[in-house]
Amino acid sequence: MPSTLADLEIATFAIDEIVEGTQTGRSDRRLSVSLPQLAVGAGHPALAEATVEVVRPGDPVRITNVLDAVLPSVKAEDPAGTFPGVLGPLAHAGRGRTNRLDGVAVLSVCNWEASGHAEAGTFPDAFVDMAGPGAGLSPYGGTVNMVLRFRPSEGAPVAEADRAIRIETLRVARDLAAITLGDDPDGIAPVRLPQPGESDSSLPAVAVILQVASEGPLLDTLLYGEPLGGLVPTLLDPREVVDGALTNGAYDWAGVRNHTATYQRATLVRELLAGHGDRLRFAGLILALGYLDTARQKQRSAMLSARLAEQLGADGVVCTTFSSGNSHTDTMLTVRACERLGIRATALVCETNGGLTDHVPEADCLVSTGNEDELVEPWTPGRIVGSDGPGRAGERVPTWSYLGACVQTGDERWTAAPA
Amino acid sequence: MGIPTVFVTALPTIAQMVGANRVLRGVSITHPTGDPSLAAGDELELRTSIVGRALEMLGTDVEPRTVWGVDGP
Amino acid sequence: MDGGARMTVAHYLNQFFAGLGGEEHAGQEPVRLDGPTGPGRGLAAAGLSVDVTLVCGDDRFGEHEDASLATLLGWLDELRPDVLVCGPSFGSGRYGYACGVLAREAGRRGIPVVAAMTPDSPGVIAAEGAAYVVPTGSSVAAMRETLPVVASLASRLAAGDAIGAPEDEGYLPRGLRRNVLSDRSGAARAIDMLLAKLAGDVRTEVVPTADRVPPPPALADASDATVALVTEAGCVPQGNPDRLPSRHANVWLRYPLDGVDSLTADGYGTVHAGFDTTAANADPNRLVPLDAARRLEAEGSIGRLHDAFYTTSGVDTPVATAATFGREIAEELISSGVQAVILTGT
Repeated sequence: MPSTLADLEIATFAIDEIVEGTQTGRSDRRLSVSLPQLAVGAGHPALAEATVEVVRPGDPVRITNVLDAVLPSVKAEDPAGTFPGVLGPLAHAGRGRTNRLDGVAVLSVCNWEASGHAEAGTFPDAFVDMAGPGAGLSPYGGTVNMVLRFRPSEGAPVAEADRAIRIETLRVARDLAAITLGDDPDGIAPVRLPQPGESDSSLPAVAVILQVASEGPLLDTLLYGEPLGGLVPTLLDPREVVDGALTNGAYDWAGVRNHTATYQRATLVRELLAGHGDRLRFAGLILALGYLDTARQKQRSAMLSARLAEQLGADGVVCTTFSSGNSHTDTMLTVRACERLGIRATALVCETNGGLTDHVPEADCLVSTGNEDELVEPWTPGRIVGSDGPGRAGERVPTWSYLGACVQTGDERWTAAPA
Repeated sequence: MGIPTVFVTALPTIAQMVGANRVLRGVSITHPTGDPSLAAGDELELRTSIVGRALEMLGTDVEPRTVWGVDGP
Repeated sequence: MDGGARMTVAHYLNQFFAGLGGEEHAGQEPVRLDGPTGPGRGLAAAGLSVDVTLVCGDDRFGEHEDASLATLLGWLDELRPDVLVCGPSFGSGRYGYACGVLAREAGRRGIPVVAAMTPDSPGVIAAEGAAYVVPTGSSVAAMRETLPVVASLASRLAAGDAIGAPEDEGYLPRGLRRNVLSDRSGAARAIDMLLAKLAGDVRTEVVPTADRVPPPPALADASDATVALVTEAGCVPQGNPDRLPSRHANVWLRYPLDGVDSLTADGYGTVHAGFDTTAANADPNRLVPLDAARRLEAEGSIGRLHDAFYTTSGVDTPVATAATFGREIAEELISSGVQAVILTGT
């Protein structure tokens, strides 16, 4: 029975500039924001301090200890329902109109080690450079960024501090987008779930297997606000993925893992939906974990993902990968399990200096999202945000340091070619 | 599918590099399953524990390119 | 290099080429010598003046990699050479590996490296593209033709000159990849490639650099299983009746174990040319642990030992040959009902 609720549509508003002012409003491609009125961090005892500043493309700034990037989004008919399960009450995401800013991102920054919530050396570098040789590696080197820097309260439980940071980041993202409420958008894109039987059944049916990871606080992916540890492969409505049901709480390996904006952009899903009825049929979206602990758990999850793909009637699947290391084994086992059921598989993986982390013979159709180990030329920024330390100024740094650089979901254009 | 194989070698890094999945660290390059500095009885005990550990590894599901020592993973 | 600023050149050798001894000195701890030694003098004759020679025993490096590397890299950090030459290591597996690892780590410190070894040497993979590797034959007879190529590459690298393509300059393709921006998103490419695969046209953007096989499932119950012993340590009956070569072995052999409870020094030995065989010849169970395996079989930990062991000498063995041997031995073992293998190597 097709849904009676309105399909999802993304209304985009292009923004080039954010000016700090006493009033909050929008004039064409410029937002004016009163930063104090945002009251970032207020009302969260787990946060000792929260600051906000605007950082712009071309600024000689390296932003460090970046946790997440969120695209400003608000539910046009029900702003309080944005990001259900985290900000808004628990309800289906993915229906009705969502206003989204194009050209702006909200970045959360926190040094967990300095606050004593993580042991030294737990978190690798996580940068966004607004200028210099690394600026083009992260998509956020080219967006106007509202940078929220948080300092957790000493002794606050890490899960509470993290939850406060995530809520505040999503809230600012919502409140920025809310400036556009009532305005005419620059574009409206429908995100429509295909109905069975409405398209040519001779077209190949393609499903997505979206890999996430959820290994505990600071390493979690959240579905309607709850961490996904223990997830058995399941089906999600692609509209809910695009519209805020999935949010990020994982902060290591910035260059190769997903972040919240990855789910909001969902380029792979949107391209498949756009191609539905034309050169393919969209069969569905499977959510599955990577980084499962044992070989047996990995094989079981791969098997169950493949079985779901079969139930969806998929002729082929595109498998994404979350971060590097042993999740590549999850991807490879999933490819193999699908192929063994006669479902052809393509996967997105990043490379390392040592080549592919793992491989199976059936993985003969791989998209490379780039070499995460490639060193980027040194840069000395004028200013470092998010750290009191030197922030690797003047040092070569690996590509994995840059948020989203080699993300293995297909949103970016970085790849590797023979040198 | 093949049969499980444990590779006993004192160069486990090379073994991993070329893709061996169950690697047990041997005593030395020149005597992977022995130790001439031990008395004969003790050496046989050592060798028995190496082979025992190899059997254990054969009986364990592993991630690709896993290295164990005789005394602990 | 004529004129210009003085370059600093470092040269890495193993114990043998540094003149410190043969296999019996393979445990040599890292040593630093002034000026060229051994093949370093040949480099000098070819126009590359070596300032410092770093030496480490092959076994020492293999068995104490972290500590050996720390020492060697500490010296390189002090020296800050303009170029490092490793080897030539020719067909040596352990020496080649040490050269490759040192090259990789030196590369991470921004030091250009030239190495020379057979294309199948594990050092090529270990270097991860950090070194310009000149391909050589497997024996030291290739020294004379190799040194001038090494010297030329190293001089120019030290001077900061651009190096030409592998086929023009005589080094192995480094297997390096560079990040580039495609004109389309990974998502768009993935969809195109999947639809092409569904239509029978399979394309990929990246291939594995080395053979990968997933781990076979674990043995359910060793006490009920047939287990075989296989070795690349060149273990053979005394007198080497079938003349297993000590290097470049082009065969593998099988020998019966019915009624044999131990590989005694009288009955067996090793012909492997790649390591000091004193300890192994004194007790070949140190290579193929038959006595211990029989004990475990007698007490029921192993169902039964296969009635033969398999042997070859893994010295200068081309990868393709080794892969063929592995496949052939595996086929025979599996068709004989063997369920698990203990493989030993040096």
